[in-house]
Amino acid sequence: MRYFLKVVWAEAVKQHKNYFNNRTIYISLFIWPLFSFLSAYYSYSAFDVEGTLVSYINGKNILVFLMLGYMAMSFFRSVVQSAWNFSRERQSGTLEYIYLSTANRLAVLMGNALSSVFESSIVMLIFGLLIVFSNCDSINVNTIGVSIVLLLFIIMALLWGVFLNACFLYSRDTDFLFTILEEPMEIFAGVKVPIAIFPAWAKIISLIFPLTYVLEALRQVLLNGASISSISNTIFACVAIIVVLLSATLITIVVVEKHMRKTGNVVLF
Amino acid sequence: MELKVLKATIKKEFQVRLRVYPISFMVGCILTSFYTTFGAWLMYHYFFRRQLSDSFSGLTGTSDYMSYAIVGSLMYLFVVRTCLNVSRTLMTELWEGTLESLMLAPFRRVAYFLGNMLLQTITTFGETAIATLIGVFFGLRIHEFNIIEFGIAVVLSLYCFFGVSLMLGCVMLYTRNTYITQNTLFTGMFLVCGITFPIEYLPTGLRLLGKLIPVTDCVSLMRAALLGGMGQGQFTQTALMALISGTIYIAFGMPLMKQAERLALEKMEG
Amino acid sequence: MIEVRNLKKTYDVKRRDGLFKSHRERIEAVKDISMRIDAGQIVGLLGINGAGKTTTIKMLTTLIEPTSGTYSFDGMDAIKHPSEVKKQINMIAGGERMIYWRLTAYENLWYYGQLYGIDNAVLKQRIEKLLKLVGLEDRANFPVETFSKGMKQRLQIARGLINDPKYIFLDEPTIGLDAVVTQELHREIKSLAKEHGKGILLTSHYLSEVEELCDYIYLVNSGELVVEGIKKDLTDFVFLRNQYEFSTKGMDEAIYQKLKSHICHVDNEAEISFENGKTVIESKMELSSVLAGFAIQEMLTINELHKMEPSLEQAVIKLSKDMQKEEIA
Repeated sequence: MRYFLKVVWAEAVKQHKNYFNNRTIYISLFIWPLFSFLSAYYSYSAFDVEGTLVSYINGKNILVFLMLGYMAMSFFRSVVQSAWNFSRERQSGTLEYIYLSTANRLAVLMGNALSSVFESSIVMLIFGLLIVFSNCDSINVNTIGVSIVLLLFIIMALLWGVFLNACFLYSRDTDFLFTILEEPMEIFAGVKVPIAIFPAWAKIISLIFPLTYVLEALRQVLLNGASISSISNTIFACVAIIVVLLSATLITIVVVEKHMRKTGNVVLF
Repeated sequence: MELKVLKATIKKEFQVRLRVYPISFMVGCILTSFYTTFGAWLMYHYFFRRQLSDSFSGLTGTSDYMSYAIVGSLMYLFVVRTCLNVSRTLMTELWEGTLESLMLAPFRRVAYFLGNMLLQTITTFGETAIATLIGVFFGLRIHEFNIIEFGIAVVLSLYCFFGVSLMLGCVMLYTRNTYITQNTLFTGMFLVCGITFPIEYLPTGLRLLGKLIPVTDCVSLMRAALLGGMGQGQFTQTALMALISGTIYIAFGMPLMKQAERLALEKMEG
Repeated sequence: MIEVRNLKKTYDVKRRDGLFKSHRERIEAVKDISMRIDAGQIVGLLGINGAGKTTTIKMLTTLIEPTSGTYSFDGMDAIKHPSEVKKQINMIAGGERMIYWRLTAYENLWYYGQLYGIDNAVLKQRIEKLLKLVGLEDRANFPVETFSKGMKQRLQIARGLINDPKYIFLDEPTIGLDAVVTQELHREIKSLAKEHGKGILLTSHYLSEVEELCDYIYLVNSGELVVEGIKKDLTDFVFLRNQYEFSTKGMDEAIYQKLKSHICHVDNEAEISFENGKTVIESKMELSSVLAGFAIQEMLTINELHKMEPSLEQAVIKLSKDMQKEEIA
């Protein structure tokens, strides 16, 4: 276990120094989701907000509602970019040395995601918290619920990062993953439009994004004062996704190692 | 001489594209347009149940939100595709190591970029046509088609987008990064250029920024040509504004590009 | 001791015939290779015509599993216990890649040390020792991107030693380096084997390098072992001969004819020719004293007596040509 944590930490430190080597990267990773957030917010102005069907959204808390969406998404989206960056280790040859070592592969993927996910979103997180706190009269928080949901959120964001790292590292066609993961997530995971009002077919698509569940839970406990028991279904879904992501990653790692020893190539799909 | 460069560039780009047409790129751009339209559709029909705010029709001259948003997203697709292609050509040349030999040849940059742009325009029209079909499905309706206004809007848009691409190309060459730069600038344009909502909703600073980018005017012109709601005097005024800002972009873009090229090559050595 | 017997590796590759059609093709990267590396020994692996060197090294480093054959690592079955092997080996490849340019030399070594789970106190000492060994102690805290090619290469060596491996695989370690740096690296490689008792496998395109460093050489061609042994075994194998250039004052056709029959008495397989007042002789035998004796006997003053031993390079070039001829035939 100590060895595992050592590798996680070393990989996180390396990724921090290798990728987040100058300050401008934090800013550019912040500006981009910020712009999307603002676009969505101002496009709401074209509508009569009180006319919505969703009971807990009103003219006062819609800013926080939207901010939570974009803040949460920045955790899940920034990792796409850094996972792509990580996949370059395959071309630069450093991946071969990692495979030559005795380090636990999951620990390496996890360390990388730890740095990527949280560092990419840190500025957005601070900004989001400022928005939430400056509007605290419009929110309705369930404290216990928030702490549990936040814990789930962190684990899911990290595992989503680990899973994407595995996908990008072992896949040839990464452009495809970009197309799949970037914009659809903004629409279908309910970042700017709550999934509750989706037509049925769109709801089904939204089910494949882990962000959908954890974002819904986050909004419920922060805006609607929902108790854990009232959102237990969503919580169960989150736990199930955690299990699925972790096992999918572990299986991928084992299969890749086998495949690589057979063909000398880490590219799996 | 310049005509020769123009022809050679078109021929070269055409050959490259014939061999490896970036299909995933094209699909990605059409999808972006689709998602924007779909997002607007969800908002209008489901989230806010077709209840527009009182100010919307006053500001836009139309009460058809879907057509308003779809025309915006189509123009956005058009600007993204043009900019991506023209600004990235030099980046690609830098990556492939052909920039240096290109700079050695004593030709005028204008012809080189125009060649790229012309070819791109043809493909972009095709892609926009596909996206328009999707738009019709989501509720795009032409209310008042004015062919003269439409012609003016298309020509001015091409002119202005060319200027914008030059500027974007400079930033890319300077930062030597395409992914973050292009996406930040495109999401920025999406925000301030009135793509899915009138820029009057923005705070003053952002609204002014939007006014400085000719894309904003071009989008307004195109909407006027297709959806109406803009008087002739206002149309002429907006068209003039677009022409002026487009000219400024091109006038500053060309020398800046030269500067950026030199810097890029120096950095490559170092 | 590392010992592999009859290693074989075949790949199934999908080849595209058309848009939807494809067929599988079997490629034999390594057909049959047996070799052995002892502690303290530098073993050379030379290849001609797409020999399967890289595949062989990848099998030895357990990155690839052989299709058949045995691999014993200090008496242990390496194919069954790859992670045990990984602890005790490392690889150093030539070129500037495979290290993180934005990290400093120290940070690179620290990172790779962590991957091996080395205790932090031990690792700190080891990094300092290694940086000293490769002469980078003054540059420890500079980012690698500011390094010269030679410095990057030396950092690679330090990285390859971070887990204190018993066996090291050097894959063209001096590629693209200038003569001075190459010589320094040669010294380091020799000291690793001779003073620190590490077993080393070296592949290189520079035959002079293999000639200078290796105690034992394996020559492979298209995935098969052609010949093994010390350098002399290899040159003998391809029937390469010593070359002598001999000339005396006033050497003419008459003296040449006399010399020719003199040499034929000693070695009747020798090839003799007379060009530009010089006699050129190719022979497998030691002829220096024979030639000197001839000069004394005929009372001639020697202008030139020059002996050239066949180099590994000549051997490999000849072999490679022979192989091509065989293939054509």
